[in-house]
Amino acid sequence: MTATATDTAAAPHAEPIQATPSGSLGRSVRRKEDQRLVTGHGRYVSDFQLPRMQHVAFLRSPYGHARITSVNTSRAEQSGRRVFTGADFMHVVLRARSSLPSYVETDQPVLAHEKVRYQGEPVAAVVASDRYLAEDGLELVEVNYEPLPATVCAWVSPREPVHPEAADNVLLERVFETGSVDAAFGDAAVVVERDLVTNRHAGNPMECRAGVALWDPSDRKLTFWSGTQVPYIVRNMIAELLDLPEGNVRVVAPDVGGGFGVKSVLYPEDVALCLMARAMPNVPLKWVEDRAEHLAAATHARDHRYLIKAGFASDGTLLAVQADVTVNVGAYSVYPWTAGIEPLMAGGLLSGPYRLDNYRCAVRGVATNTAPAGPYRGVARPASVFAMETVLDAAARELGMTGVDVRRKNLILPEDIPYKMPSGLVDDSGHYVECLTKALDALGYDDFLAEQERRRGTDEPPIGIGFACYNELTGLGRAASAGPRMPFRTGHDACTVRVNPDGKVTVFSGVTSQGQGLETTMAQIVADGIGVDYDDVEVRIGDTDESLWGFGAFSSRQAVIGGGAAHRAAAAVKEKVLALAAGLLEVDAAALHIENGQIGVVGVPDPALSIAEVARVAYLESHRLPKGIEPGLEATKFYDPIRGVFAAGAQVAAIEVDRTTGEVRILKYVCVEDAGRAMHPQIVDGQIVGAIAQGIGGAMYEHLIYDDAGNLSTGTLLDYLMPTSAEIPEMTIEHVSHPAANPLGVRGVGEGGTLGPNAVLAGAVSDALGIQIDTLPITPSTIWKELQ
Amino acid sequence: MDVTFSVNGERVRVDVEPRHTLADVLREQCGLTGTHLGCEHGVCGACTVLVDGQPARACLMFGVQADGSSVVTVEGLAGDDELHPLQEAFVVHHGLQCGFCTPGMLISAMHLLDTDPEPTREKIREQMSGNICRCTGYIGIVDAIAAAADVMRSGDTGVSDRVSARAQETPSHIEEPKRSPPPGG
Repeated sequence: MTATATDTAAAPHAEPIQATPSGSLGRSVRRKEDQRLVTGHGRYVSDFQLPRMQHVAFLRSPYGHARITSVNTSRAEQSGRRVFTGADFMHVVLRARSSLPSYVETDQPVLAHEKVRYQGEPVAAVVASDRYLAEDGLELVEVNYEPLPATVCAWVSPREPVHPEAADNVLLERVFETGSVDAAFGDAAVVVERDLVTNRHAGNPMECRAGVALWDPSDRKLTFWSGTQVPYIVRNMIAELLDLPEGNVRVVAPDVGGGFGVKSVLYPEDVALCLMARAMPNVPLKWVEDRAEHLAAATHARDHRYLIKAGFASDGTLLAVQADVTVNVGAYSVYPWTAGIEPLMAGGLLSGPYRLDNYRCAVRGVATNTAPAGPYRGVARPASVFAMETVLDAAARELGMTGVDVRRKNLILPEDIPYKMPSGLVDDSGHYVECLTKALDALGYDDFLAEQERRRGTDEPPIGIGFACYNELTGLGRAASAGPRMPFRTGHDACTVRVNPDGKVTVFSGVTSQGQGLETTMAQIVADGIGVDYDDVEVRIGDTDESLWGFGAFSSRQAVIGGGAAHRAAAAVKEKVLALAAGLLEVDAAALHIENGQIGVVGVPDPALSIAEVARVAYLESHRLPKGIEPGLEATKFYDPIRGVFAAGAQVAAIEVDRTTGEVRILKYVCVEDAGRAMHPQIVDGQIVGAIAQGIGGAMYEHLIYDDAGNLSTGTLLDYLMPTSAEIPEMTIEHVSHPAANPLGVRGVGEGGTLGPNAVLAGAVSDALGIQIDTLPITPSTIWKELQ
Repeated sequence: MDVTFSVNGERVRVDVEPRHTLADVLREQCGLTGTHLGCEHGVCGACTVLVDGQPARACLMFGVQADGSSVVTVEGLAGDDELHPLQEAFVVHHGLQCGFCTPGMLISAMHLLDTDPEPTREKIREQMSGNICRCTGYIGIVDAIAAAADVMRSGDTGVSDRVSARAQETPSHIEEPKRSPPPGG
């Protein structure tokens, strides 16, 4: 997830496939998921009802930092409820591992004992016959605490460390250094310096976390239905933590109501649920989180500070960047991604799509008495892009250049490709100027400049224009996923394609979906890969007992990697279909083609055979099997792109500001991205628009605020403002489509949209009012204060 | 408590604990899990259902308060073989991704189009702001509602008429004598 290049091995490039005219790729076919989802027949974990099911509620810490002096469960137990406390699970800890030299490993308990480290940390769990009674039971558990001084800000010294292993709370530190930074600053005509702070916010999927765990003691099998983005990683970790053979653990992610990174974490509640299930054989245990719990205890993100300095030549050429980045990683090193996830991504991608030779960046992850920080769509880059674009705008102003010119001067160009970024990552895109130019055209840049000029000196609200260019690293293969040096590499996925005896196709893919429509995309890939109708392909995902392997949904990887595996498996099955058909028809396989499930001989107008006839022979009429061909029609393939692919992007917007209220109105918002080849244009645009909406939420509305004692003061959706249809503007989404060097020619699009809005909106507000936006979010009150 | 109401045109009679929300009664006791819970404090709108034709947050209403009412949930929108024009438009215009907010969106949109068959995009954005979607960025949802409004105005409204009728119908059981609560209940 955090990306640092480790070797220069070239990705194996399969031949990009050509869509048949009748194929489904490239068309916005009807999503396979939608029929059940629009009729209320989705299958989310919270919908599960099983015989003998019991319900779990967690008792959570009311303190940000406190010693637990006693826990008394007797009243709750006398009421007939089963109660579990930290003492029950002391033998199990979550320890996110990394071999980075500076990394301090710390333990996260399943249920807190000894002390609590953030408000909302689970301390005990109560089991009852329904959720109301389980929650009632929480009031019968008595926990005594001795409050400790809390630290909620990552850039103040702690009075009491969060973990004894790290007296200064620093869990990880790393310096990225390339070139001669000091000499380059000496040559600079202009040096700009900023102290920038971004706001803690979170993914907040509409479905909160949920799980159902069931232990079958006779088969010694654990089944865990979980709203997770990463069922195979969860299976692996649960098996290890519970000391079970991995084959005895089944994890199922059914329909999941949004993830955005929040659900790519294995949480203590998940582990507690499985441990409790094991202690209560044959009783399905269900936990459904409510929103208050989610805001307090699911992972947060984006609580960063950038002390950034950049030097420019008089013509606007970027000469050097020096930065000191502090990331608030919360109370625990998030399992399994580690506290390195945000700081290392920030340091690795800070320079973005700009040419830079001289770079020094120190990053650190600092523990505090706040909820753990974890992966959230765009990981660190909404903040790092904001930092980079801020210094570009500041330099442009000092040099008397436009924001557009300073960017054009420094963007990586197609002729620079492959471009080795100062952090060592290799950019394979280079289409940034094209994205920016196209975005400015779509915005009507000149018209807005004219209108901006016209309004100067009038009473009308001033107009501002903001820009952001970014390179989103997607589909990371084994060489690029090495950043946090975790004990696993997330470069590959598997896919099994099976032609059934009736000629229809079932796909068992390792991808997962939380709204991205992967059932649809995998079906399109396989349908075209074999040459059958999209409607004849059924896709099964999310169940570790059905499909072989997939790392799951994160770092915009599944279209590239899961898609690549599906394509390869389809190609292998097609090869067998053709070989079998060639034997039956007594022709050369090279003379055959497949379209719409019909096999034809080149040059002969009528189909010779259908896939259904071939499949029947493969399964039911083995006496007709050509010599040397085994029964069955199935193939399993892995795909690993080795490196990653960059997706270029540019966002621009024009806004106006009401000087009286400080309110910002977005007049026009444009995004141009390079998604490579768009397999399903509507899904691609949906990902981009949705990501931008989240970015706008983070830039203008969403803020998780702790007081000095560690109390979360924005603990409901009345205080934590998620943007609605009244806040999110219409958007213009356009594409430059440069196929990537992978089997399908695709680049990931899940996260890129989130990278722009902070920078675009802060830049636009600064442009409109001539003020400096150093702290996010941009609220009416912060603007109003700046104007006084 | 014994409670009788109609759900999607069918009469149901359930024994409901007074503190149980309408959302939980629909989901747990009626098996209608299409009504989703996103916040349980009345902000996100995922649990929106129609009660006597008016949108209501099922997480903020007790099941017993539905006694004698007509409730329409997302499961009541589609016909046997055809989707409601709003459902169809959400599919066609990519008005959903994860689908979790969708039932509440559909119900709110249905009420919007009942009260204003020809809303502007601005009106749609304003009226739908009581339902939060985290996936789509709303553009597909606004597109879908605008498109459904066109379809419904153009007259091909078999399904939507039937749903509207269900939402407005007077429950037939109101005059019935109430059964006494079960002993100890």
